[in-house]
Formats: sequence, C-alpha cells, structure tokens
Amino acid sequence: MVHLLQILINGLASGAVYALFALGYTLVFSVLGVINFAHGAVFTIGGYLTYLLIGGAVGANGLLAGLQLPLALPFWLALGLAGAGSALVSLVVEAVAFRPLRKRQAEPLLSLISSLGAGVVLVNLVQLLMGAESYSIPSSTLAGLPAALNLGGAQIRTVQLLLLLVATLLLVLLTLWLEGSRGGKALQAVSEDPVTARLLGIDSGAMIRLAFAVSGFLAGVAGGLVGLSVSIAGPYFGIGYGLKGLGVLVLGGLGSVPGAVLGGLIVGLAEALVPSDFSGYKDGVAFAILFLVLLLRPRGLLGKPLASKV
Amino acid sequence: MSTPAAPPLLALRGVSVRYGPISALQDIDLQIQQGELVALLGSNGAGKSTTLRAISRLVKPVAGLIEWRGRSLARTATERTVRLGIGHCPEGRRVLARQSVAVNLELGAYLRRDRRAIARDLQRCYERFPRLGERRSQPAGSLSGGEQQMLAIARSLMGRPRLLLLDEPSLGLAPLLVAEVMAILQQLHREGLTILLVEQNAHAALAIADRGVVLQAGSISLSGSAAELMAHPDLKDTYLGEGEPGDG
Ligand SMILES: Nc1ncnc2c1ncn2[C@@H]1O[C@H](COP(=O)(O)OP(=O)(O)OP(=O)(O)O)[C@@H](O)[C@H]1O
Ligand SMILES: [Mg+2]
Repeated sequence: MVHLLQILINGLASGAVYALFALGYTLVFSVLGVINFAHGAVFTIGGYLTYLLIGGAVGANGLLAGLQLPLALPFWLALGLAGAGSALVSLVVEAVAFRPLRKRQAEPLLSLISSLGAGVVLVNLVQLLMGAESYSIPSSTLAGLPAALNLGGAQIRTVQLLLLLVATLLLVLLTLWLEGSRGGKALQAVSEDPVTARLLGIDSGAMIRLAFAVSGFLAGVAGGLVGLSVSIAGPYFGIGYGLKGLGVLVLGGLGSVPGAVLGGLIVGLAEALVPSDFSGYKDGVAFAILFLVLLLRPRGLLGKPLASKV
Repeated sequence: MSTPAAPPLLALRGVSVRYGPISALQDIDLQIQQGELVALLGSNGAGKSTTLRAISRLVKPVAGLIEWRGRSLARTATERTVRLGIGHCPEGRRVLARQSVAVNLELGAYLRRDRRAIARDLQRCYERFPRLGERRSQPAGSLSGGEQQMLAIARSLMGRPRLLLLDEPSLGLAPLLVAEVMAILQQLHREGLTILLVEQNAHAALAIADRGVVLQAGSISLSGSAAELMAHPDLKDTYLGEGEPGDG
C-alpha cells in the first residue's frame, strides 16, 4: 500500500506537466479557435534551452557540436529563461504561421497546416544544431536538495515533487491572471467575441500575441521540467507530448482551463496506474480513456456547449 | 451650441461601402453636431448598421471621408476610435455571455485608467439600471433579452463616449421596454451626450430625436427635423417600406 502514494505522486507529477502543456493549446485555441500544432516544438525547445543554460554541452552530431555556454545557471534560473525564450519562439510562430493568414482572412483551418509546418521546421532546426542524441539534465543542478524523500516508506523522487509544485504554482497564477486581471479578462473577451472586444477598445492582435507568449512560456517550462525528471529524448520528444496534450485538451473540453488541468491529471494518474511490466501500453490507456469519455460526453469533461464558438 | 466655424463632431462626406460585389452604401453625406440626437432610419438591408460599422472602422469605405472633429479617421483602427470617444453599441446586443454582468461593465471601461471615477460610474450605472445591480454577479448570458439590451447600453456608457452609436436598441423588446429604453436615451441626450440612433421603429426614435435621416438601399432618401419627418405623409409607406399602400 506504500506503493500507492508513490504511484499517486508520479501520476500527479506527469499529469501536471500534461496540464501545463494542454493549457498552452487551450489559450491559443480560445482566442483563435484553432490548434497550434507548433506547440510541441516549442516544448522541445524549452527542454533544450534549459539544458544549454545550465551549462550542458552539445554532443558530437549537430552544427553546434561541442558548444557549451560559458555559464552554469542554477536550474530555476535556467528554467525561467528557457520559458522566456520559448515565449519568444512562440511569438515568432504566431508572426510567421498565423498572422499572415489572419490578415488575408483565410480559413482558420489553414493555419493548422501552417503551424504544423512551423513545428516541423523548428524540430529540424533543433536537430540540425544539436544533433539527434538525447540529453539529460542532472538533478545535481538542484543544488542542496536530496534526490529522494522517504515518505512513510515510499521513496518519492524530489524531482517529481518539484514538478508538481511548479506546475501547480503556474496553474494557480494563470487562473488568477485570467479571472482577476484586466488583461486576463480582455483575453477572455477576445476569445468569446473578437468584434465586440474591439468595440470595447481591446486590441485583439495584442491579445492574440499575449496568448501565444504565455502559451509558449508554459510549454517551455514544461519541456525543461520533463528534461529534468525524465530526459530530453531527441528533437522529436515534443511530438509524443504534443499528441498526449491534444488528447488531454479534448478530454477536458476544448477551450476550458479547468478542463485542461483535470484532463492532464486524469491521464497522468491513469498512466501511473499501468503496471511497469506493461508500460509500453501507457499511451493506449490514455487514449482509451479519451475515447470512452468522448463517447459519453462529446464536448469533453468541462467543455462548453459547442454552439457558441463556431 | 456650436459656432459655424467649429467642425461638426462627426462628418461623413461622400462615403461608399462595398461588401465584395455588393454595394451597401453610396455617397453618404451626414453631419452630427455636438449634443445632437440623430435618428438613422430605414428598412432591412438599407445600410444602417453598415453606416455605424464604417464610423467605428469595422468596415473600410471604398470612397469618401469620415471625419471626427475635423480629422480623418482613414488611418484609425477600431480600437482607437473607442479611445477617441466613439462608443458603438452593436446590433444584436453582443454582451459577453460567459462573463458576469459586472465584468461586462468593467470591460466597457477597458481603456480608462481612472479607477475611482470608474467605480463611481459603475455605481451610477446600477442606479440607472437597478436590475443590472441585482444581477451583477450572474453571467450576462442568463439575462433576459431586455436586460441584455440594458447591459449593452450601460457597457457602452462605461467608456464615457462623446458620441454613442446605437444599433437598434429596441429590437425584440416588448413595447413597455422600448419606452423604457427610449426614456433612458432621452435622459442621456438631456445630459449632453451626442447620439446616433439606428432604428426600424421610426415612431419611437423620432419621438426623442432632434433630426432624422432615412436610408434606402444604401442612399439617403430623406432627412429633416424629427417633427418634419413625423408629419411626412409618405414616411412609412414609401421610405420605410412598412404598412400597406394607401394605409395611414
Ligand atoms: N458581411 C456582409 N457581407 C456581405 N454583405 C453584407 C454584409 N453585411 C451586410 N451586407 C449587405 O449590405 C447591405 C446593408 O446591410 P446592413 O446590415 O447595413 O443593413 P441594415 O440597414 O442594418 O439592416 P437591418 O435593419 O436588417 O439590420 C445589405 O444588403 C446586406 O445584405
Ligand atoms: Mg442592421
């Protein structure tokens, strides 16, 4: 039974990362009504940036082979900066893959494809620069913290607890910002009715950029956290998370912030409950849950009625 | 009122608007002086909403000039017209249904930074529209049609506009509520607000307006003082396309 606490923490920790990831999708979806398929690539870049900023060396295969930044930032600082860098990348994605189509009033679905293209370019760029090998962020960068805690007999990796803590903190801050601040309310107004928002004096272009920046920050931080707790398994490691994040998004309900959190935690816990002998079936379990929920509740767990969006 | 030298608050000069192949407005000339209440009348599809959308720059004219206090709006974005003092209460209410009444009103004051004055205006707004005060924490989507209309008007007022563009505030309201809305507009007009009121309900609008302008298929076909238009024998039949031929 001791084991259960361990499973719970593991599940909640990976669920929290899924939630962070899905929230990025949700923010952009709620203002634009489309999925940003470059989101997984931004997550990847967050992982790599964190690795570089703690002073990690590039392997032998990329253009940057052998490079090592002349700084070894503490993990927290590196993570924050990687988040900021990812926010910038996300803004570039908006400027390149979304804004030109919006200016021409193109069918919103087209930006699905252009964002997918932007994502592929980014991932290839990472591979070109950094090579295809995997990197890991040593937990020694968390100076002074023990590697594991003994909670009533259960061995809990400190990293998992930190992950859970950071994700919870970000989720709370995001919710407070969305519900309580002038900017957050304006963002919600744009997501509900862009024309009315403009008639209230809200610059919808600026709000869309804000959504991309925040979403990129969340993705980058999630990437860094996964790099720490698991590893950065090559340039494509964001893709699996991207798909899982989409599942979480749909499970919780498109455009719903609490839905993304709930969906993330459910998927994380369900995966943690899969016995380790069968860990190859984790994704199957996650998507089976998604399938069942959608059969019973097509708009997701906490989704709003679909009519108001389209 | 205004000296002849002062430019009008708003002037449309030869404005034409197209939606692709469809011509919605042709060569519209319209001036609004500070403090006026002008009724813009016309039947369905006459171009009333398009006129308001052109003023708040949601559509760009293909010809002509729109001037705000003597300055062209040609390079102004919609968000900026709000800052200049043009409040546009759009057709069909368009309250933010998922947000509470209070948040809708707060967002009406989005561009203002004077927190104290905003709080005071919010208080006055709840006095003017007591039902909104009672329902301030409900989602706006749960209000009745009449209440949503009141909320839309109140939200526009929270921006402290110098000119209020109102698109069919009486649409879908019971006669008693129409009278209530018109009384509120009349009161705002008395307090000095300049209003351009789009209405299909010509009688209700002209009863409180200084002047009226009638649009027909995208052109101005008739204009004059409210009293003149009210007394015009053909207003309803010919210009607004209402009623049977030969009736009243
Ligand atoms: N987005 C649009 N695309 C194409 N045509 C449009 C569009 N909006 C309006 N129109 C056309 O422009 C003309 C004027 O429309 P507008 O909405 O200004 O009329 P209105 O006087 O406000 O009518 P109503 O009283 O029904 O609201 C109509 O012929 C309408 O079909
Ligand atoms: Mg109209």
